[in-house]
Formats: sequence, C-alpha cells, structure tokens
Amino acid sequence: MAKIIGIDLGTTNSCVAVMEAGQPKVIPNAEGANTTPSVVAPTSNLVGVAAKRQQVVNPKNTVFSVKRLMGRKFSDPEVQELIKDYPYTIVQGNNGMACIEIEGKVYTPQEVSAKILSKLKADSEKFLGQTITDAVITVPAYFNDAQRSATKEAGQIAGLNVQRIINEPTAAALAYGLDKKTSEKIAVYDLGGGTYDVSILEIGDGVFEVKATNGDTHLGGDDFDRKIIDWLITSFKADQGVDLSGDRQALQRLKDAAEKAKIELSSTLETEINIPFITADATGPKHLNYKLTRAKLEQLVDALLQRTIAPMENALKDAGLSKTDIAEVVMVGGMTRMPKVNEIVKNFFGKEPHKGVNPDEVVAVGAAIQGGVLGGDVKDVLLLDVTPLTLGIETMGGVSTPLIKRNTTVPTSAQQIFSTAADNQTSVEINVLQGEREMAGDNKSLGRFILDGIMPAPRGMPQVEVKFDIDANGILHVSAKDKATGKEQKIQIQGGTGLAKEEIERMVKEAEMHSAEDKKRKEQVDARNMADSLTYTAEKSLKDAGDKAPADVKAEIEQKVKELRDVLQTASTEELKTKTEALSQSMQKLGQSMYGQQQQGPQNPNPNGGQTGGTDNSGGNNSNGDTGPVEGEVVN
Amino acid sequence: MEENSTTTGQSLEERISELENNWKRALADYKNLEKRVSEEKEALRDFANLVLLSRLLPILDNLEMAQVHLNDEGLKYTIKEFKQVLEDEGLREIDPTNKEFDAATMEAVEMVDGEENKVIEPLRKGYLLRDKLIRPARVKVGKKKENGESQT
Repeated sequence: MAKIIGIDLGTTNSCVAVMEAGQPKVIPNAEGANTTPSVVAPTSNLVGVAAKRQQVVNPKNTVFSVKRLMGRKFSDPEVQELIKDYPYTIVQGNNGMACIEIEGKVYTPQEVSAKILSKLKADSEKFLGQTITDAVITVPAYFNDAQRSATKEAGQIAGLNVQRIINEPTAAALAYGLDKKTSEKIAVYDLGGGTYDVSILEIGDGVFEVKATNGDTHLGGDDFDRKIIDWLITSFKADQGVDLSGDRQALQRLKDAAEKAKIELSSTLETEINIPFITADATGPKHLNYKLTRAKLEQLVDALLQRTIAPMENALKDAGLSKTDIAEVVMVGGMTRMPKVNEIVKNFFGKEPHKGVNPDEVVAVGAAIQGGVLGGDVKDVLLLDVTPLTLGIETMGGVSTPLIKRNTTVPTSAQQIFSTAADNQTSVEINVLQGEREMAGDNKSLGRFILDGIMPAPRGMPQVEVKFDIDANGILHVSAKDKATGKEQKIQIQGGTGLAKEEIERMVKEAEMHSAEDKKRKEQVDARNMADSLTYTAEKSLKDAGDKAPADVKAEIEQKVKELRDVLQTASTEELKTKTEALSQSMQKLGQSMYGQQQQGPQNPNPNGGQTGGTDNSGGNNSNGDTGPVEGEVVN
Repeated sequence: MEENSTTTGQSLEERISELENNWKRALADYKNLEKRVSEEKEALRDFANLVLLSRLLPILDNLEMAQVHLNDEGLKYTIKEFKQVLEDEGLREIDPTNKEFDAATMEAVEMVDGEENKVIEPLRKGYLLRDKLIRPARVKVGKKKENGESQT
C-alpha cells in the first residue's frame, strides 16, 4: 500500500510531508532542507536551490513564481503585469493561455510546476524508500477552476495521481486538528515569502467551507528584507559617503545580513549587523556595523504590517462576519514568526493565534494529513498504547526490579533470568509489581504466584526465566519457568495498564518526590545483598579449602564473617561496604595461599571462582556478588 | 442462514486482509524507520559540527579579507592555523578560480564581460563538508559583450 504525500506547491518555496505511523513528517529534500525553492531552469534541468544559484547567469532560462501564471490567460492583467517585471519570456500559448518560452521552446506553467513536483516526488521516494504515486496538492483558496485543474495537470505530468486538490488555509486548519470542531469560523493569516493571503473558513461536520479570501499578491518576507537593506544602504551612505546600491557583491552580503537580523530579532530585542570590508575607497577598506533593535525593525516595516490589516477587514466583511465571530486563528508563513505580526493579528481578532506547527511547513503537514485520511492511514491508525508505569518483580531484599519500563509502547515483551537466593531453595515467589519506586513495598502489587518443584541446588544455580508479555489488549501475561525441569507457572493480569490518569500521575509524582531516599534505601539493600553474598562465598571457600587454609587466615575470615553477619540487618550502607571490603581482602589472602599450593598440589576447585559450570564434589560455585540468601525471593 | 454465514465469512476475510495490510504497513514503516535511524546516526556523526562550522565560515572570510588589505605575517599564520583546524574537521574548500560555472557548487552574483560561463572573479569561497555542500562559492560569471545575445 503506497503512501500519499502532501505537497504545498508554493509561489516561492514548496514543501512535502507524509503520514508516518499516524504522525505527519516533513520530508527533507536531497540537499537536506525542509523546503525547496520553487525555481526551475528547464533547459539545464535544475530545480530548487541549484536553479536559484544560476538565476543570474541564465535569467531568461530560469523560471520562478510560476504559480502566478498557473491557469491564467495571456491577456490576464496580472500576467501582463508580470511580463513587465520578469526576466523570462511569457508568451501566448494554446487557447490563449500564458506560457513560458525558453530558447525557442514553449513550456506551459503546468510543465514547469511538474518539474518541481518531480523533484519533490523523487526526494520523497529516496527518503521513504518506496515508490510514490499519489499526492494531495494544495492551492490558494482563491484559485479558480482553471487554476486548480492546471495544478492537477502538473501533478499528472510529474507522474502523480492527484488524489485531491485542497485549499492552503484548509490544510493549515487540518494541521491544527480543527476539523474536529463541530461548527466554527476560522481565520487563516498567511504571510509567506512573496504573497499575503487571509481566508475565513467555516467548519461543519468535518467539512471546510471558504467564506471569503483576501490578501495582497505582492507582499511578503522579501519586502521586509528589502526594508532592512534600504535602511542599511541609507545609513551607510550618510555615515561613510559610499553608495552600496550599485555593488552586487555588497548587496548580496547586505541581503544575507538583513535576513539573519530579521530572524534573530524574532527571539532577541537587539542584534548587531556586522559586515567588515564591505567596500573600499581611496582611504582604505570600509566596514559596516549597525545595531538594529526590534523596535527599530518594527518601525522600518510598519507600513508593510499595516498593509495586512485592510485585507483582514475586507475578508470579514465579505464573509458577513464580525471579529468576534472568529473562534480560531491560524498562522501560516515564515513571517508570522515575527512577534509584531503575532501582536497585530492577536489584537485584530482578540484571540491568541494557533502556533506550534512550523509556519513554513504547516500547509504541507495539513496536506499530508488529508493524504493520510484518503489513504486510510489516519482513519485506521492503530492507537498504540503505552504502559503508563514500570512493571517488574520483587527481588532479594525487597527491591523492585523492572522488566518493562514505563512509556514502552505495547504490545511488548521482556524476559530475564533469575535464580534462587538460598541453598536448596525449591520454590520462588513471583511478586508482580507496578510503579516507579525502587523498593517493592512502595509499588503496587498486581499479583503473585509461586513456582515450585525446583531441584535442590546451591543458591544462584537454578535458572528461572521470568517473562512479561503485554498483548495488544493491554493484558499482562507473566510466566516463570525453571529451565532445568521445564516446569512453568503463569498468571494473567487484566487491566494492568488501565489505571486512572490521576493514579498514574500520583504514582509518578511520588516516585519523583521520594527518588533521593529510595535511592539510598536501594543502595543499602544492594550493600546488604553484597555483604550477605560474600559471607556465603567465604564460608563455602573455607569449607572447600579444608585444612589447606592457613589457620591464621581461616581465623581472620571467620572473624570477619561473624562481624558482618552480626550487623547485616542494622549497619549503615557505609559500614556494610567497609566491612565487606575488609572481608574481601582477607579472602584474597586465602586465594593467594591456595593458589600458591595449587601450583604443586592436586587439583582443587578455585575457592573464589565465579564459573558457572558446577563441580561435582563441592558445589563450590557461586554466582557474582549480588546473590545471597534472603527470604525465598528470586534474585538476579 | 447459508447466505448469512457467507456474508460473515466474507466480511471476516475482508477484515483479515485489512488487518494483514495494516500489519505489513506497520512493519514496513518500522523497517524504514530503522534504516533511517541508522542513516541519521551516521549523518549525525559526520555532520555534528555542521552548524558550528558554517557559523565560523564568515569569520574566516573576514580574516582573509583583512589579510588582503593588511598583508600581515602574524595574521597569515593565524589564518593558516584556523584553516587547518577546519580541514581537520572534514571541511574542504571549493576553489572556483578559472572554472566553468557550476550551479551545484557555485552561486552566481553578477555577470561581467569575459569568457562565457567561466568564473571571472571568485567573491567568496565555497565549502564542502565530507562531500556535502555547506556553502556554495559566490562568483562573477563571464558573458559576451553586450551587443550580441549570449543565447545559443
């Protein structure tokens, strides 16, 4: 089943997104950017940023803003305006439609747009690792039938089945999930790179209706940059007496700096524009350095900002609505990141606009959501649950050992091998726990069961495999299996994941609150388990060594074991650690003397060994430090 | 009765194929995600410094411009050392001097008289980070004298 991509085919930039596991994802192009300049050089087959870079070299062969020509007649006054401004040649094609002529060949706007769509398609296929055949493409709300079918044709030329053409403001509203509203009026304010649109939508039963649109087809971010550049040129001329407006290289650097300053001033109140060696005259090199404050920027572009207000008023008037009728305001286009723009829109409608989705990508995201709905991707999204709390079992010393961490997506399973805590222990109790606390007693016990029939063996030898499995219905299956006998016990816990939200929050909060003391308690238990384990090992080792153990070493170890045993339940973590360390050192003495004997003497099991394969005569094997005989709990 | 059971059988079959479809789709999504995660990890390893490096480039430009004016020996060594650090991080310079104009690595700022489609004057160096373009070179490109159209 192929995916349906959502494409925002923009005047200055285009963007593509897709639904992935129920979430919209913007697809980066081959150059690694999330948006692609809508610029095409058909003769050299360049699209996007590469086409833009050679625009100066091939002005007549480089088509930009082709969207303005889509589905328009050559005689259209809008087209006649463009002919005056645009360096490429616009001609009259079949049926009087506006076309582009490059090196004697006539291209329809559809064909040129198709090149952009082809690139987006190819980049998407590369990114997704699958063939793409279907797309949803967005168009401005004011596009007429001819313009819409031209857009659809462009998609077909690019090898895409255009599943639907949707309005840009509708896509933006979809991206914010506004289709779930029952009956509401929505305003969409779209201030992009080169155009400004405002649309009033009405939503009812998941269907959007465009009530009115208005705007200014020649107002956008580039005009804002231009204002900053002009200010820099004027200031520099006044201060340094040099006119930069004729110097292409300087202009390019000014443009870079202006754009950077504009972006910075969306998050800071002041920025420095620094262009060293911007020019030189007889006196030597000249540098440009100006501070630009947000307030100054707002003053520079005030006229542009004011121009966005009348279209809002007109759109409302055409829709027969007043400001108070508007329930939601959605922002689209990079310029809406400017705090002043937000303020103007907020003041106008008396409402905080929706933000959060990247305004450069929001239309493509909405188109992808529409694509997901059409492809069944969204309707049938498996709402995968997560386990709200950690699940685990109680182990030696009352510790809660996690098997499945909280926020793991279900279905999932986890297994771990545990062992016995005492010699000849024939049963283990599995206490299934839920919660974030370190100690079993502080967590919720969901159920417990006993696995018996374990063959008598030294502690740490039996292997009990505990398996947790949460199925798609959220039912937890816990099983414990003795690997030696194959004996198995299990329980099912229903609704283990279906806790009330408040309860989950309470448990998580409590765990956070107690995390420091819990950690201390856990450390203490760990230390106690370690101490206990070492006393066990020491005794075993002494027994194994028999009379080969030097008497003084033997006495020393026995003394230290006793000391440790006496305080096992009462000592502090530090004391336990110190005493354990002391015993461990004495053990090393034993090990050394035994090793020395072993050189000449007969074979003996290594008294301090940690191998797992058992030796038949002594059972002197022990597992690593964290085992020990504490109440019949299973241990790690 | 019979008809009824057929309908149930049919709808069950539909349901099965629907579920199978969804399952395959989820698996495919996951496989692709895995691939992408490993690719992204590689990219992260190779391009972790990309943002920092691209922010350092204008400073290098300025130092080099300063050197053109000052021709200072100390500055010369400073620039050399600075460039060495950038090179060690995988940055490579694109030298457009005397080359054909190439939109893949160069950005044309201005057309001037000169050999057609040749880089007449490099204005700003371009840089690659492990074969990925992180900044195109800026150049002036040649065109034939104004009287004749440079179109072919």
